[in-house]
Amino acid sequence: MQRMIVTVILVVGLGFSLMVLASGVGLWHLPDNQQGYSPPQPIDYSHRLHAGELNINCRFCHSGAWESRHAGIPSTDVCMKCHKFVTDSFDVMQAELKRAGDAKEKPQTMVSDELRKLYDAFGLDKDLKPIDGVEPKSIPWVRVHNLPDYVRFSHKAHVTAGVSCQHCHGPVESMERMSQFSSLSMGWCVDCHRESTEAGINGKQVHASTDCSVCHH
Amino acid sequence: MTDVQSKTWWKGPREQTGAASIPQPHTDGPAQLSRRRFLEAAGFVVSTAAVSGCGRAPVETALPFGVHPEGVQPGRMKHYASTCLGCAAGCGLLVGTRDGRPLKMEGIPEHPLSKGGLCAVGQAVPLGLYDSQRLTHPLKGREKAEWSAIDDDVIAALKQAEQDGGVVRVVTGTVNSPTLQHCIDTFLGQFTDGRHVSFDPISSSAILDAHARTHGKRVLPHYKFDEAKVIVSFGADFLGTWISPVEFTAGWRTQRVPDESDAEMSWHVHLEGRMSLTGSKADKRYRLTPNDYGLVLSHLAVRLGELAGRTLNDVPPSAASPIDDADLDHISGQLWKHREACLVLCDSQDVQVQVLVNYLNELLGNYGKTLDIARPSRQRLGNDRELIDLIEDLRAGKVQALLVAGPDLTHNLPNRREMAELVAKVSLVVSLAERVNDFAELAHFVCPDHHPLESWLDAEPISGVVSLCQPTIRPLGNTRSILESFAKWSGRKATAYDIVRATWRDTIMPRQHKTQVFADFWNQSVHDGFVQVDPLPSEAHEFRPAVVKYGDRNASHTGASLELYAKIGMPDSRHSHNPWLQELPDPISKVTWDNYVCMSPKTAARLDATDGDVVRVEVVGGEAIELPAFIQPGQHDDLFSVALGYGSKGTERFADVGPQWFEARTTVGENGLVGTNVASLLAIGNETVGYVRSDVKVTKTGRRHDLATTQEHDHIEVPAAVAPHGAERREVVQETTLSAFRVDPKSGAVELHHDVEHQLWDEDHPKNGHAWGMVIDLNACTGCSACLIACQSENNVAVVGRDEVRRQREMHWIRIDRYYSGEGDDIEVAHQPMMCQHCDNAPCETVCPVLATVHSEEGLNEQAYNRCVGTRYCANNCPTKCGGSTGSNIHTTTYCRIWCSIPT
Repeated sequence: MQRMIVTVILVVGLGFSLMVLASGVGLWHLPDNQQGYSPPQPIDYSHRLHAGELNINCRFCHSGAWESRHAGIPSTDVCMKCHKFVTDSFDVMQAELKRAGDAKEKPQTMVSDELRKLYDAFGLDKDLKPIDGVEPKSIPWVRVHNLPDYVRFSHKAHVTAGVSCQHCHGPVESMERMSQFSSLSMGWCVDCHRESTEAGINGKQVHASTDCSVCHH
Repeated sequence: MTDVQSKTWWKGPREQTGAASIPQPHTDGPAQLSRRRFLEAAGFVVSTAAVSGCGRAPVETALPFGVHPEGVQPGRMKHYASTCLGCAAGCGLLVGTRDGRPLKMEGIPEHPLSKGGLCAVGQAVPLGLYDSQRLTHPLKGREKAEWSAIDDDVIAALKQAEQDGGVVRVVTGTVNSPTLQHCIDTFLGQFTDGRHVSFDPISSSAILDAHARTHGKRVLPHYKFDEAKVIVSFGADFLGTWISPVEFTAGWRTQRVPDESDAEMSWHVHLEGRMSLTGSKADKRYRLTPNDYGLVLSHLAVRLGELAGRTLNDVPPSAASPIDDADLDHISGQLWKHREACLVLCDSQDVQVQVLVNYLNELLGNYGKTLDIARPSRQRLGNDRELIDLIEDLRAGKVQALLVAGPDLTHNLPNRREMAELVAKVSLVVSLAERVNDFAELAHFVCPDHHPLESWLDAEPISGVVSLCQPTIRPLGNTRSILESFAKWSGRKATAYDIVRATWRDTIMPRQHKTQVFADFWNQSVHDGFVQVDPLPSEAHEFRPAVVKYGDRNASHTGASLELYAKIGMPDSRHSHNPWLQELPDPISKVTWDNYVCMSPKTAARLDATDGDVVRVEVVGGEAIELPAFIQPGQHDDLFSVALGYGSKGTERFADVGPQWFEARTTVGENGLVGTNVASLLAIGNETVGYVRSDVKVTKTGRRHDLATTQEHDHIEVPAAVAPHGAERREVVQETTLSAFRVDPKSGAVELHHDVEHQLWDEDHPKNGHAWGMVIDLNACTGCSACLIACQSENNVAVVGRDEVRRQREMHWIRIDRYYSGEGDDIEVAHQPMMCQHCDNAPCETVCPVLATVHSEEGLNEQAYNRCVGTRYCANNCPTKCGGSTGSNIHTTTYCRIWCSIPT
């Protein structure tokens, strides 16, 4: 009798667990699947502003994608190409120009809080002059897309084949903070390789191999 | 050549006699890990793995550059031209760097000497850069010190030395760098009696001394093997370790690959006592003890003198030649027929013998043709006379300051205890070694030099070929270039870069006529890695026959003798820190991790010794050493040979190399080191340091030290009676003679086609696009093993240690099978590199339970190593046993690009 009660409880429990599992399957990620991962970054950088509103080409900062397997995160001096001049938001800078013009003064250097972090890393003082003996440092960006060590992915091969950045990285130009759009799982890779071989990319015939060693070597 | 079809080829004595070749684990020493400890460790590992698997992926940062350096692209290999400083041969080096780290060495294809080749030692160079035992700061006594403090002390001590008599000695290996030579000369110019001592652990001093006698100038000829139709070498291992093996191999190869339209090959005769790599590739090999080189050369000189119509003012030798007269007639006839296009070489350290060699080359008109002394070699300039003088000066207590860079002065000389006492009497002792070696232990100051990949330097290996060595990484420690150290002690503060540039502006640039703008000249030279300029003025005179005397005219030597030599993977003890080179199977003996006493099978039978029996080698009335025996087919019955460069300080680190499982045994020997130092048996003579000792007594001690040899690993033979159809033993080596090749280029090729009765799989491997193939020219392959280390470097292949090699678990992805054929005097050797054959219906693929080995659409066998669970079915089913027995996994199914020391 007692054994029967235990069995019934176990069977009910098992059924309940399976139901919970089944209902949650759509939301489930396998371990190591970081889809949707969107960690806070050391500087509150907006892809929406740069890639979307200002329409800066991806290649301006991530030039490595066309030359190497790493797309690369731009070095601090790449940021400085624009931010040598753009030191604060458009409105704040315009307001300061107007104020200085009205008061017939030289406009002050306005620096936003977020850009101050960039200038600190680059070794610039409050007037944006280089500080003696301070070398430009790296900004410790948090890595969003991270493949396992046993996978060798090459940006160059994909970009030159005509795969658009958004195809894997999603609508980056609308993301305020960068987030992992695709699952980056093996099934996802292989699906695309099969489809591309059949249908081509942008009308171009391609041969995306599904040999193991294409990625695992 | 004998009837080629009836020969049998065998890998080792056990295979020859048909005995089982099952390897045995070590018999020495107890197990180090108890069962209890193993269970503890296993439990810990499993629970840690379980816990760590549950966590979320760790947060990783990605650090971009602060300021992006021009031309650098993360993830892409970038190559810089430089010069290999592994030895003084000065081969061109392309240093592959990725993300700021030098990782992979290649040869420079345009280099006039090495022509794109690089040897095993050159391939292993980067491992030394990342070596944890390299000094990262200067030492004062045994303590870490600052450079400024050391410089103050050294300069003060040098001033004191000058006041006390000014006897200052700088000891280095061969210095072929014009800049370093200039720095040393400037430094020594400050003292009343400052002298530079060139000391090579393996010296060719006798060749230079012989030229001083015959040509009035101490030079080393530049040997041109690409123009030699007949090569007669007395023990000179020019494909393996002699002077500049990569360059010589490239030259030798040009005469060894017959074309169907022009089937010509050089004729290469090798006379030697031990079995060397060069001997293994010779057309005709004679066994001859080094003591008899002089006698045989004298007999050759008499014959060639008759042919040339010249006689020496000396009585010809009366003793019979150990080589048959008919053979000598044939050799001298061939030499005379190809006069002005042949070479006679010898590695003897007897100056009189080398004088005789010069005489032969002069008789044959080779000077100016195959031997160049107008543009001489600067690849081995060691002067043993200077070394002997230095020891005399030390004994007399005359030396006030001794500075040593390069070779370890204590390790490479016979009497280390006396050396320590002598050095203790010197008031200033400085070592510039990269590691704390035996001599650095005795030094007051150790001022570590940069690793070659961190420093600016140059080299002029052949007069007129000057190459640059450029840094490819910022120095990892607080070390200092040897150029800067000598400049500082000469009262000058300059960077190595400025010092090298200054020499190039003042002395190298005026020797060329292409450009007058230094910036252009410099930039082009840094880009190319080398530059060809006018040679230094030559002061060699006409040949002086008066100095030539026949050698050993009375009797040929009898009784046992000993020859000390350098192994291909260990040219000197400076490379002993390098585990890749330690685990490199010697191309002939296939032994790893040890040096040993080579003896012929007959001698071994007489001594009742087998491989691994420790024997005592005693020079009558002198030192003795104890080392394991190794039976070497092809060795002269009266000769024992032992490799130098082993047993050096620092190799105790390899005690625990490899997996430390509960049956693991140590890699080091009883002395706590890898191998045994045999420099105590060197013969310091009046003129040169000799590597051959007569009157040697060898006895068995009764102890054992198991050698880790790979020679019979992976040997499988299915008995003919049970072999399935198509799997019978086939010819291992397919060969033909040159005359047969001339008639029919396909001669010797045995093509066996088997009808397959039962096919397990359909032909399911169609190759629609690319298909891969790789061919190795076995006529050119010397078995030098550079490809093996290149593969290890490229693929980061692990080192497993002596015990694991004994268990057939070496991880090398390439092995080079070495086969013997014949007996006694007529041993022939064949080398056969083996790596994954990329079979079409690959046996490894059909047995993998998890589909980790699969076939690519381009016809390659591929290994998805993250899928492998380690059943090792693949290895067991591999017919060629390629990568057969690695730890958990076979790796060799990666497509192989070969880095051969032989340029094609």
